[in-house]
Amino acid sequence: MIGDLLASRELAWRLLVRDISAQYRQSFLGVMWAFIPPIMTAMGLIAAKNSGVLNISETDLPYAAYVMFSTALWQIFVEALNGPVVAVNQAKPMLAKINFPREALILSKLGEVGFNFGIKLFLIIGLFIWFKIPVTASIVLAPVALIHLVVLGTGFGLLLSPLGALYNDIQKVLAMIVAPWLLITPVMYPVPQEGWFRMIVALNPVTPLLVTTRELATTGVLTETSGFWWSSTLAFGCLIFGWLLYRLAMPYIVERMSA
Amino acid sequence: MVSLKDSQSVGKATDIVSKSTMTDGDVLLSVQGVSKKFCRDLKRSLIYGVQDIAAEMVGLRDSCDSLRKREFWALDNVSLELRRGTALGLVGSNGSGKSTLLRIIAGLIKPDAGTIEIKGKVAPLIALGAGFNPILTGRENIYANMSILGLSKAEIDERFDDVVEFAEIGDAIDSPVQSYSSGMAARLGFACAVHTEPDILLIDEVLAVGDMRFRVKCYRRLSELRKSGTSFIMVAHNPHVILSMCDQSAYLNRGKLLIVGDTPSVITKYEEDLFLGDSENKKIDEESSGSLTLPEKLEGTSYGLDIMSLHWENSQGQKLKSLKTANSAALCVKCRSDSNLDDIFLTVIVRQAFGEGESVLNLSSEKDDCKLNISAGISQVLLKMPSCSLKAGRYVMKVYLSQKGHRILDVVESFYFTVENIPGMSQCLFHQPHDWLIRAASHEDDSRSL
Ligand SMILES: Nc1ncnc2c1ncn2[C@@H]1O[C@H](COP(=O)(O)OP(=O)(O)OP(=O)(O)O)[C@@H](O)[C@H]1O
Ligand SMILES: [Mg+2]
Repeated sequence: MIGDLLASRELAWRLLVRDISAQYRQSFLGVMWAFIPPIMTAMGLIAAKNSGVLNISETDLPYAAYVMFSTALWQIFVEALNGPVVAVNQAKPMLAKINFPREALILSKLGEVGFNFGIKLFLIIGLFIWFKIPVTASIVLAPVALIHLVVLGTGFGLLLSPLGALYNDIQKVLAMIVAPWLLITPVMYPVPQEGWFRMIVALNPVTPLLVTTRELATTGVLTETSGFWWSSTLAFGCLIFGWLLYRLAMPYIVERMSA
Repeated sequence: MVSLKDSQSVGKATDIVSKSTMTDGDVLLSVQGVSKKFCRDLKRSLIYGVQDIAAEMVGLRDSCDSLRKREFWALDNVSLELRRGTALGLVGSNGSGKSTLLRIIAGLIKPDAGTIEIKGKVAPLIALGAGFNPILTGRENIYANMSILGLSKAEIDERFDDVVEFAEIGDAIDSPVQSYSSGMAARLGFACAVHTEPDILLIDEVLAVGDMRFRVKCYRRLSELRKSGTSFIMVAHNPHVILSMCDQSAYLNRGKLLIVGDTPSVITKYEEDLFLGDSENKKIDEESSGSLTLPEKLEGTSYGLDIMSLHWENSQGQKLKSLKTANSAALCVKCRSDSNLDDIFLTVIVRQAFGEGESVLNLSSEKDDCKLNISAGISQVLLKMPSCSLKAGRYVMKVYLSQKGHRILDVVESFYFTVENIPGMSQCLFHQPHDWLIRAASHEDDSRSL
């Protein structure tokens, strides 16, 4: 398994270069697409908050920065979640014809997630400078938490990808589930402190990972450590199990695709 | 056209190569009792897919040898072997399971029963240009495609120029692949694939695209690869391609491997099945005796004039087992007609059995403006050849009877025959009747030379 993973690095890189250059060659706005969605979301939310339509308790960062940063993190999770299913569906013609290390598809999608995040990093750095957000030394640990977040998304995605390749319902379900999932994740509001809603938010495995990443990058005061560890365990468990499933299922999926 | 002598010497050269490298471990591919079932119903097929994956996950997938509802065997107990430097032709009618077998060998799908052992790298040419992105240029796609085929960046860099040169698509290399014609895309795809230098190449009908020149180039490249030790399995519906490229062939019929053997006999069998319906009432043993007897046509399949048999005879009307260069011979086409038919044409197309597929002779009474009148009953149409110009070798002939406007009444796709050698034919493409003599110089010649 590990051998295949190593063998697929180069191919994954090629696929990544291929996909990204094709993507930007056919797009007029290009890199701007990485910035527009979080900015638009943030602007909408700020307007709603200021007009009093939304009743959101105070955040430890300026609200605009809080929302934009959290949205960027949330998007990374969603991209990682969709990655495997989308990759398999996009690569169907290739999968049906050539026996290449299948891990390359996933790796290449992860690379794309990383690339997109790299672009968003400019937005985030800009935010930090603009709002003069103080950073602590703990920021060097933020990428670790971020990787756990990506692992969680990829793990879930891998678990769904065999089914997603057979039935296109899965892609629809994924698209549908993302919106309510966002609502139970502290992206637009801070972590609630009491009530039944706190229970739901705390049960959501994305919460501790996302919150910890945010806290590491900014205040350095961690509030979700225990959640972080069980969520990370879940993430890596899903990743390994999903990977196994992905490998085992691939021949059965290819068999049902046209050559 | 490659002369027979050349192709023979090439054949010998590869024999020597394969013998010298042939050891016990030289079976590159061994397929043992492979079976595969498919489901005709998509919904059911998907459900079975989920079941199979679940079973595989838990680690118990036994009941493989029984068919579930609406399933059928796409491959049934197929066994094959492929040695280094050999080419195996795979023939069979549409839907007989050829592509499925190649996909199993390529490791794309798992057989339900049986095992596959492979030594070396397999490059499936099941479809060309897999992984081409239409928006990117040819140049970028070469990198993507060859990485998918399993090459590292350094290896691609090394071969890049060869690939571009081989594809011969000129300036188009820097324009997006979506602007390519289908032949150009295929050229690029083929160029990528043959430059990966695999041990086993699986070719599934991909050479049908591309113009004549490129095709010839591809075949040449394939025989070069073969000389350097690459084996291939080749699927093609054109028997001449198989005949010229492969020495061994296998015939698949509805998932069952009917015969494996030397190509001409396999092709003959395949074509007989294809054109003559079911295989019981056929006389294959006549193939070697220089004559071919065809079974009676089924009710309703005749166009009023049926070819009953073909054979060669000498000027005395005796049957010949084979022809001899420079000797006279006649092809006798025995046919049965329901009524009196006027203006019938006989066309005979002769090709080398192991050639590239071009015709050596194309004789037609229509071209000669010779109308044949056939009366009801059984008659024989003769094609007399005062001196056989063909050089020694094995040939295959297509014979058909037609009426004006290319209305074909009956056709025999392949009638194999042999031409025997006579001395003095080496380095000749055909026999030129000739004489030598000496003549005393006359006055005219003297005056001209002055
Ligand atoms: N993914 C699939 N699902 C269900 N049935 C399939 C699948 N792939 C192939 N089959 C069936 O398996 C049989 C063999 O198909 P295959 O593609 O191997 O034929 P083939 O010999 O390559 O034919 P052709 O000469 O047309 O290329 C056919 O009856 C086909 O309908
Ligand atoms: Mg096929």
